[in-house]
Amino acid sequence: MIPPIDVDFASLNIQTLAPMIVAIVGALAIICIDLANKNLDKSLYIMLTVIFLVVDLTMVFGYSGAVRGFFDIMMVDGISVLAQVTVLVLSTAFVLLAFSKQKLQEYRYPEYFALYLFAVAGFQFMVSSDSLIMIFVGLETSSMAIYTMVAMHNRMKTIEAAIKYFTMGALATGFFAFGAMIFYAITGTVELGKVSEVLVNSNFNNYPLVLLGVTFMIGALGFKLSLVPFHSWVPDVYEGSTAAFAGFLAIVPKIAAFVVVLRFFEIFISAEDVFVQNALYIIAAVTMTMGNLMALSQTDIKRMLAFSSISHAGFVLAAILIGSTQATIGIFVYWSLFAIANLGAFGMLWINRDKEASINGYTQNTVESYAGLVKKSPMTAAIFAMFLLSLAGVPPFSVFWGKFYLIGAAVNADYLYLALIMALNSAVAAYYYIKPIVYMFFKEPNANSNTQILSNSTTMLKSVIGIFVLLTVASIFLVEPLIEFASYYVQISGY
Amino acid sequence: MEHILSILIFFPALAAIVGFVVEKNAIRAYGITVTAIELVLSLVLWYNFDGNNPGMQFMEFLPLIASYGISYSVGIDGISLFLVIMTTLMTMIGIIGLTEKRDLKHLIITILFLEMTMIAVFLVLDAIVFYTFWELSLVPMFYIVGAWGGKLRIYSTIKFFLYTFTGSLVMLVGMLYLGYVYFQTTGNWSFNLQDWYMLQLPFDMQLWLFAAFFMGFAIKVPMFPFHTWLPYAHGQAPTIGSVILAAVLLKMGTYGFIRFSLPLFPDASVYFTYPMAILALIAIVYTAMIAYAQEDMKQVIAYSSVSHMGVIILGTFALNVEGIGGSIFLMISHGIVSGALFMLVGVIYDRRHTKMIKDFGGLALVMPKYATIFAVMLMASVGLPLTIGFVGEFLSLLGFFKVSPILTIIAGLTIIFGAVYMLVMYKKSFFGPCNNPENQKLEDVKGRELVALIPLVALVVILGVYPKIILAPVDKSVTNLIELMHTKAVSPTTKARILELNSIGEVKK
Repeated sequence: MIPPIDVDFASLNIQTLAPMIVAIVGALAIICIDLANKNLDKSLYIMLTVIFLVVDLTMVFGYSGAVRGFFDIMMVDGISVLAQVTVLVLSTAFVLLAFSKQKLQEYRYPEYFALYLFAVAGFQFMVSSDSLIMIFVGLETSSMAIYTMVAMHNRMKTIEAAIKYFTMGALATGFFAFGAMIFYAITGTVELGKVSEVLVNSNFNNYPLVLLGVTFMIGALGFKLSLVPFHSWVPDVYEGSTAAFAGFLAIVPKIAAFVVVLRFFEIFISAEDVFVQNALYIIAAVTMTMGNLMALSQTDIKRMLAFSSISHAGFVLAAILIGSTQATIGIFVYWSLFAIANLGAFGMLWINRDKEASINGYTQNTVESYAGLVKKSPMTAAIFAMFLLSLAGVPPFSVFWGKFYLIGAAVNADYLYLALIMALNSAVAAYYYIKPIVYMFFKEPNANSNTQILSNSTTMLKSVIGIFVLLTVASIFLVEPLIEFASYYVQISGY
Repeated sequence: MEHILSILIFFPALAAIVGFVVEKNAIRAYGITVTAIELVLSLVLWYNFDGNNPGMQFMEFLPLIASYGISYSVGIDGISLFLVIMTTLMTMIGIIGLTEKRDLKHLIITILFLEMTMIAVFLVLDAIVFYTFWELSLVPMFYIVGAWGGKLRIYSTIKFFLYTFTGSLVMLVGMLYLGYVYFQTTGNWSFNLQDWYMLQLPFDMQLWLFAAFFMGFAIKVPMFPFHTWLPYAHGQAPTIGSVILAAVLLKMGTYGFIRFSLPLFPDASVYFTYPMAILALIAIVYTAMIAYAQEDMKQVIAYSSVSHMGVIILGTFALNVEGIGGSIFLMISHGIVSGALFMLVGVIYDRRHTKMIKDFGGLALVMPKYATIFAVMLMASVGLPLTIGFVGEFLSLLGFFKVSPILTIIAGLTIIFGAVYMLVMYKKSFFGPCNNPENQKLEDVKGRELVALIPLVALVVILGVYPKIILAPVDKSVTNLIELMHTKAVSPTTKARILELNSIGEVKK
């Protein structure tokens, strides 16, 4: 006989789920509206998405209950709040980029925006739990939504991108499930907190098996974070997506994945497990360096930004490896500042989208097509150049302060060589970031190219990019509030 | 006079932003006005500057990232005062002498931004903010060389950018480490130089940090073997780019050595005196020889710059008041003289569109005024007594004589070598018959060019005859600096060495 289950509703602490429920209800509402009336403009759906994201954000901010909820599966600690806030703010900024002048296939389907909200809800679940099963569910919810969104862009390259992304993603999912299984087999629990306890108490008994589990986890999370050698999908997927969505892919999913990596590898880093630390060290260094080296030879700006985002992910992995409080704060500071510049750069590609090239299937963002841009539109060229310089880490623009903070964290934790690797990688990166600038400012415009400047721009796109220009230029004044904000939430969750 | 330094820093930037509105055909007048106001502001600063106070003056402080000890903190002393005035002067002269026609508006706005970063580098007292402006100064220069340069402009500008950017990043790691050391010792975060001056660092740490800062500064100076970007950048840059690069940007490196390396790492500075001096000597001898072999007038001056920067380094690492004071004076004089020389080459290039020595000859016949001005600048460059070039060179070598007479003699001999390549260049292009028909109808310097060059000629003579107006405040601050080095040194041998080096002119007991 199974005893009747008697659960007090109050003890469920259902508020921990409230933010995700908002996003999911929003997604369902969008689908219902579409059922009622097929001919509504995309602007309605964009603004609905924005509204639901904002309500979601207030829910996250307003949450003041206990950390644990819903059968202890949910864990809304400081890191979770911080990550959710970052995800929501950036998602809001990205969805606004859909106000484009050109009509795109995917924006005609309201499902696109519903999927967007589902993906966001998935990220929120991923960061708000320390149960491997819940993380898995969140990961899959978001990944499934994103696979579909990639595929909705109707271009030849998109099909390749979607299939590649899906198959590789499925493999990563398998890795995750396998890794989780191994840890369950060793420790008898799927909650990371308890896994850690059991492992430490048993003094990492059964060490080879633990390492096998770690290896699977590195494979799974490395795929999501595009760490070398699990990065090969990145450039193709970015190339096959629109610039706006590629920018989203480069930033938002990775925040969620970083938090999972942080929670998971914290077990080994705080236990000072030499093998795992060395593995992370090597992966971080190789990711930074290889991402940069591969970006050097790209002639397509979108692919170049894809490879560079690999390198930036390596920077953050280095911060996770360092493991000090400052480094954990640094993850969020760095990623927020990087997101500002990266969104700007992808936004500039998006605003100059070449429809002809996209339909005929040849690459649209070659550096040559931007040759002599300064002659045609000095303002566009200057803004684009500023975002690229920011990504290269030239002070006083945003990414510099992130790099500065992370390198500082590395130095303070006595990882001097890592700090030097990071610094020298920034120097390598400078070369490919200034390449488009060289074309825009120093080369003569290509005579037979008919690239249209600002062909995709609307007032909304211009205002979004304008805001990000301001944020990039004035980032020195952003750093202090960002650090304070992040350190409050990081410290209350004890990292 | 409350916020004079901030006004000095941000006025050109503000003017540059406002300049976007100014019409194209009026932009030169706008540029000249702005830089003239800036020059006047710097002169007002000099007037109000207390020459008897060796410390920092007109200080301002504003926390930026309080939790990490980064603040906007500025101040000026005798070391930086004249570098600032030289910067404002040379920028103004550069814009007056500007003959570029293409995209003039972009060029002038870029120069105004560049002026902001250059002045800020000399005034800022917070390491991270210093680094910010230091790096930011690369961007306008990158644009100037790349957009208005010669045939190889893209290659040379990328080389310039990457070279200096890489070196600076190593320096950044050093700065962060030093900030961390400060935190460990005092429990507070600070990147303020004056706080750092209080630190006493262990010897080994000084060596490593000195090396990290060396990477940033030495590439900028440039010191042998990191000098290879300079001839390209100079050779390809437009005239105004070369003028500002030679006059100001190179001085940032030597200024960095004096402001950061010497007082922060006194033991390492003493320890590295000979290696630094040998690098400087190689630069002096080797680049003088390369300069002799050049066929392009601009390259001759570019290599002579490297050679002179070697003398400045030599003076700096003499570690006594004469040497450091002399090297600061030499920075000013080299700024004026090399700036003027590059401008003179620009004058002839505008007329003939070549700067090859073999294309000229007998120019003195057709362009007497030009030849005269060139001769004055050339004499100053080789260090003829009673010109501005002599004072700095003499003091630097005098200071280093105390360290090592033999090395000083080698350096002194090679200055003669410098005279050789400059005079040979002068002989080939200005004397002899004027056979080339194209050269025979060349116009002499006129109008705007004269307005730009005459003040420099005047300065060369005035400061050469009476250098004391600059030397007096410089010496005050340098004495202060050396006392700081003496008190901060951890090892007694360093202390003894610094005392011993600073005994020029004392009667031996």
